[in-house]
Amino acid sequence: MRAQTLDVFRAVSDPTRREMLDLLRRGERTASELAEPFDMSQPAASQHLKVLREAGVVRVRKDGRQRIYRLDPAPLREVFEWSQYYERFWKQRLAALGRVLDETT
Amino acid sequence: MERALRFEANYPHPPSKVWKVVTTREHLARWLMANDFEPRVGHRFQFRAKPIGGWDGIVSCEVLEIVSERRLVMTWSSNVIDTKLTITLEPDGDGTRFTLVHSGFKGLKPVLTSYLLGMGWKGHVHKAIPALVAQLQSEGRL
Repeated sequence: MRAQTLDVFRAVSDPTRREMLDLLRRGERTASELAEPFDMSQPAASQHLKVLREAGVVRVRKDGRQRIYRLDPAPLREVFEWSQYYERFWKQRLAALGRVLDETT
Repeated sequence: MERALRFEANYPHPPSKVWKVVTTREHLARWLMANDFEPRVGHRFQFRAKPIGGWDGIVSCEVLEIVSERRLVMTWSSNVIDTKLTITLEPDGDGTRFTLVHSGFKGLKPVLTSYLLGMGWKGHVHKAIPALVAQLQSEGRL
């Protein structure tokens, strides 16, 4: 589990950010278009977008005075790998439980 | 949709013994992690392990439900996830059918949707994801 994986996980753990990603799934959006559905201030929206940007799941480009965001889903793949971490973890723990049971009277 | 991981095992030991190993601190530490568990609804405790990646090594839990030799439910939260653990024991001949459900992986489904609806199908992503999706579907988790 790399540090960036956790950034991605944090990024998608928040419902507002998940909805933002969902909007971006349908195409590019400006910062104000991303803020609008949530009835939140521009700075609050910017903060969410910053988290998404730092996790690498959105890319931003400038078009005149607009900042335009698009989804970069590649890092999201790591979230799957992260959930697979628990898959491995519990398989190992259940095997360990079996051994402990065998050793316990 | 909330994602859940589900695991089953059959142990050749009676439920009373499995219950003991699942609900006492010393035994839990042997197969899971060091902890300060108490078998009491409302008890808050922690599992502690070596930190890995961005996880600080601490899992904070609260016992939600206890049915002796049958069922144990607890929250399972850390600095990276907020989930729930349900352990169920059923007699199975002379042994025990053990089921563990780790649920509440919220947020994974929308992420997956992003993939499925045509984003990022390039490079290694496009090879890895369909296989994973097929696997999740076959396991009924999608």
